[in-house]
This record gives sequence, C-alpha cells and structure tokens, in this order.
Amino acid sequence: MRIIVTKKYKIADKVFEMTTFYEYTHKMCADYKTDLPADHSIIISSDDIEKEQVISEKTHLKEKGRCYHFEDDYIESLAVYRKMSEILLFEDTILFHGSVIAVDGKAFLFTAKSGTGKSTHTANWRKLFGERAVMINDDKPLIRITDKEAVVYGTPWDGKHHLNTNTSVPLKAVCVLTRSETNHIEKISVKDCYNILLQQTYRPKNPSMMAEVLKLIDRFSEKTELYRLGCNMDVSSAEVAYNGMKG
Amino acid sequence: MKLKDTFLIHESQGEKILIDASGENFSGFVRTNPTSAFIIGCLQEDTTEEKIADMMLERYEDATKEVVMKDIAKIVEKLKSIGAIDE
Repeated sequence: MRIIVTKKYKIADKVFEMTTFYEYTHKMCADYKTDLPADHSIIISSDDIEKEQVISEKTHLKEKGRCYHFEDDYIESLAVYRKMSEILLFEDTILFHGSVIAVDGKAFLFTAKSGTGKSTHTANWRKLFGERAVMINDDKPLIRITDKEAVVYGTPWDGKHHLNTNTSVPLKAVCVLTRSETNHIEKISVKDCYNILLQQTYRPKNPSMMAEVLKLIDRFSEKTELYRLGCNMDVSSAEVAYNGMKG
Repeated sequence: MKLKDTFLIHESQGEKILIDASGENFSGFVRTNPTSAFIIGCLQEDTTEEKIADMMLERYEDATKEVVMKDIAKIVEKLKSIGAIDE
C-alpha cells in the first residue's frame, strides 16, 4: 500500500528529511532517526521508483543471468540511497562497496566482487575478536574524506545479513580480498588497485558528479593504507589480516 | 569526430586516464601514455585525424607524418571500439 511518509535521519553526520511512498526505508533507518533540523531533503517520485526498478532488473540480469522483478518498497530504498549518495558527493563523501569492521577504534574495509567472501572474512574477525570487533557496515558504507583522514560511517544499507552500527570510525586500511589456499597479506600501491577502487565506488551517471567522484577517490587513496589479502575461510585468515594491517 | 561528452579525462598518480561516466558503453578505464593522452586531448573538440596529425607534427619535430597518422588511427580505432567517439 502506498502512503506518504516523511521522517528525518542522521546518516554520515548529515540530517536527511526523507519523503517516501512506503514504510520500508523508514523501518530500515529506525536506528538513525533524529529530530535535528534537516541539512538535505530527499523526495521520491514514482518516476524514481520506475527508473530504479529498470536499473535493478538490468543489474540482476547481468550478474545472475535471469530476470527478476523486485518489490517497489525495497526498490524505493535503493532510490533513496542513490539520491543520498549523490548529495553526499558534495560533502566529501563516497559510497563504497565492501564489508567494514572496526577493532579498538580503527576500521578495516574489505572489498572484492560480490561472492568473493568479504562477509565470510569479517565474520571470522568477529569470531577472533568477539566484542572487541564492531561491524560498521557489511555492504555499502559511506566514507568521508577530510583533510586529515578517511572516516567510515555505518549506514542502514548493509547487505543481506543486515549488519551495521550507527557510528563512525577512522578508516585505517582498505584491503582487496582474494581467495587463496594459504593466508597472506601485502601492502599495495594505488596503481595496483586503482581499477578496483573505481569499480567499487558508486558511480553517478552525470559526468560532472563523476568528476567529483574521481577527485574523491584520489584523496581517499592518499588517506588510507592499501593492502591485498589472499585468504581461505579459516578463522586464522582474520589473524593474518589484522597482524598485517594493525601497524 | 569528437570524444563523447560522457567520457572524462582524469589525472591520477601522474597519469591521465579515460573514463566513461555513463557506464553504458564501457565500465573500466583506459590508461594512456603521453602520445595517446595528447590525441585524446585533441579529440575534446570536433576534429579530424589529419588535423590531429598536424598538431602532433608541430609538437614532435622529428616525427614523420606517416608514423603519426598510424598512431592516431590506432588510438581512434581503440576509442571507437569502446564507444568513446561521436563521428
């Protein structure tokens, strides 16, 4: 059923007033609710939902090789995040695809194509560190690049296991995850992983926004350490990764 | 011919790269060397292979027109293959 709902949420330190047709997005964002004055407003139109549906169907067909029609309320939540991430570009913030976990106040982001095992790897960190480890976001965190550092924010768009924490933590390292029989980790240069950084960042279709994204990726890659991890599914992979990056 | 408006030239790590902002034609990026970067730069305005060759010959005095035309043809062909050129 379509109703119109307007509520405010604080995400990545900005207050968004969101107006949607469905409750779904608001339920998702419940932990982030606020009464502070809004910095930005997001209003979803029927047209936004239709466009998002087309994008999702295309992506699903490309990735899974079959057609699928998603529910409009879920699709609306994606349209909200698309608008939010395009607004946040002008607040020095990018949406990046990966699983982020923090230990002792430092965050580590694992990135790779879907299905490589990012979530499995951060689950191993939780087994190893227990309560010392905090899941920031398992799928689509926001990263703000300041003059001093990169800071990663938990957001409600958090992947199929629904793991996120409403918090922000300085990002110590980005780690490209690959599968390997034995566990090993190496430091890499920006050139070694530039294509991955580009692929894993949300890319707006508008060229001037895309130019902003490219500038932010450059600043981002200067403010964080970069690693490549070869890992198996054992808990020991988390130990190898942490020891390689804790510095 | 001209480089499509959705293709951006971005300098990163001292290297110029070419990216399709629309993501529709081509989702990766093209690394360049100084020659290809120069040719792509010329293509930001409507031009011809002949005109680009003249500009290159002004710049690289010891190059021959034959070699330059070959370089240009090669790069233009590559750009066309990724849908980066408006004829």
